[in-house]
Amino acid sequence: MRTLYTALAWTVAGAVVVQAAAIAFAFGGMLNLVSEGGVVDKALLEGFQAGGVGEAGFLVHGLVGGVVIPLVAFALLVVSFFVRRRGTTAWAAIVFGLVAMQVALGFSVTDMPYLGLVHGANALAIVAAASVAALRMARPARPGTGADERAATAEGVGSDAVAT
Amino acid sequence: MPSPRELVRRVAVAVAVATAVGAGALAWNSTLLGEYSIMDMGSEPSGHGAHAAGGGASTGSGPETDVTALIADPDRPADVRIELTARQERIDVPGGRTVDGYTVNGTSPGPELRARQGDLVEVTFVNESVTDGATLHWHGIDVPNAADGVAGITQDAVPVGGRHVYRFEATDAGTYWYHSHQVSHEQVERGLLGAIVVEPAEPPAFRTDAEFTALLHIYGGQHTLNGRAEDARVDAAPGSIVRVRVVNTDQGTAAVWSASPLRVAAVDGHDVVRPTDVEGRRVLIPAGGRADVAVRVPDDGKAVRLHVGGARSVVAGAAGAPAAPPSPQPTRTLDLLAYGTPEPPALDPASPDRTFDYVIGRRFGIIDGRPGNFWTINGRMFPDMPMFHVREGDLVVMHLRNDSGDVHPMHLHGHHVLVLSRDGVAASGSPWIVDSLDVRPGESYDVAFVADNPGIWSDHCHTLAHAVDGLVAHVMYEGVTTPFLIGGATGNRPE
Repeated sequence: MRTLYTALAWTVAGAVVVQAAAIAFAFGGMLNLVSEGGVVDKALLEGFQAGGVGEAGFLVHGLVGGVVIPLVAFALLVVSFFVRRRGTTAWAAIVFGLVAMQVALGFSVTDMPYLGLVHGANALAIVAAASVAALRMARPARPGTGADERAATAEGVGSDAVAT
Repeated sequence: MPSPRELVRRVAVAVAVATAVGAGALAWNSTLLGEYSIMDMGSEPSGHGAHAAGGGASTGSGPETDVTALIADPDRPADVRIELTARQERIDVPGGRTVDGYTVNGTSPGPELRARQGDLVEVTFVNESVTDGATLHWHGIDVPNAADGVAGITQDAVPVGGRHVYRFEATDAGTYWYHSHQVSHEQVERGLLGAIVVEPAEPPAFRTDAEFTALLHIYGGQHTLNGRAEDARVDAAPGSIVRVRVVNTDQGTAAVWSASPLRVAAVDGHDVVRPTDVEGRRVLIPAGGRADVAVRVPDDGKAVRLHVGGARSVVAGAAGAPAAPPSPQPTRTLDLLAYGTPEPPALDPASPDRTFDYVIGRRFGIIDGRPGNFWTINGRMFPDMPMFHVREGDLVVMHLRNDSGDVHPMHLHGHHVLVLSRDGVAASGSPWIVDSLDVRPGESYDVAFVADNPGIWSDHCHTLAHAVDGLVAHVMYEGVTTPFLIGGATGNRPE
């Protein structure tokens, strides 16, 4: 279970890197299209062709961000209940919460462009949270002390606390 | 060996997960639609209003009418008769590269149909090689229901080798278009379409000296004007007024603008009353919508440039006259709510017989076994959509509201709606009568129409991928039934 938990956490972090790459590729394609005389308008956008050669980037960003990461983050949360260690559920919950917020931001960005600022910053928060969740498993458990205890406190009367 | 408490905890979590997975599987399975009739859909029995108590589905008293019986006068000989043949093949895009798609009579867009107001039009549609089957829908023309061309509701999709005859009277003059309404998101996008112009029986109040149809379509990422990836020229003498009939066949809003003053002579086939000069503003045409935009050729020997749809222009002037340079798109938009001169309304929206809400939202869910972020109508997801039940002669008021983050070009078949207000601000210009209306994020519109064309009519978003993802409802007349089925083995997939 620990290995699975670690793998899922790293998957979330890695998928965010894919997201950054995909969206940069997509906007590169769009700028390339415009620089060669193309015109990006609503009609082209709705025809799924506004990214030019980078259109796959939009597709990947939508699919990975809208489906893959939420599913993996949810799986991480479920698996965390089976890992007997303080703070695992808390960190999985943080990752899941940030991902949920990220998806909501992503779908609202067309309507409220300034949310893009938060969307980009929140992506880094997800990478950080998912990496911490994964790295914690590599360290030997120190029950009752240090970071684990603080995390457990943050979690409140979580299931891990009940099990002690 | 884990402790008993730990064992209990694990069993509890396992049971919870198993239950969740089981419930999920059940929910998934229940969304698989298979074959269904539009008759079985809809959870809202009828609108609130005077007739609401007597309203309801076709189960009510009175004779039932099959959609196939709702036809134009069968004894009247046709004034315009044409055969349109659809093929699945490469489309030649002059000025660009060829793409895979669908043609009508060998080209895409297909031939422009022209009729005179009052003509009876008879079109024989032949499907030569469109493997999914195809139909023709007469976008914006209020045809009899049997000729509406919606696969699974008014007919079966025409299979390869099949044919279907459409008959309708071209009652209203104006600019329209035809397109397939079978797997429409793919067949329309790939070119199974063409323009229709109904010439007025009487000279219109707004006179023009020349006219030009500008059908916009994107083929494989290439913006085209009448199928050509290049600008168009119209020969017109200095001082003359040119009517450009812009048809937006794409999936998103098209902008039209010019550095010279322009006038919007008609919207969706309805003349604007006394249109005035528009300067420094763009005209936005919803997906599926049309606008007749008039420009004047200057007297100085130059040609006027009208930008249509962002990437292309129509240049009108004497042969060889130098064209005006491209001009940047204005950021301000002409508001049709307050354009032209008001006229006494043809209907009294204060006392409607039916009132309906059409509120668009979005949420995650599963449709037909397919998970996704889907559109909702009145908070509910396809197939649990409202059915707008009406009775012939009803005055219907509909409140459209867009609570989602995307613009939705709403298209009602078989009727035109009069825009009453937007965000509570009453219309103050020429009667704004449309069949395709862009409802932007956060906006709400009150529209009214008279239920004067019995049948079962689709009322959907014309960004056709949105219709696939659930943004489609129907107006159903009391006593009208359909024998056609959607999905499953029928192969009918209207969206």
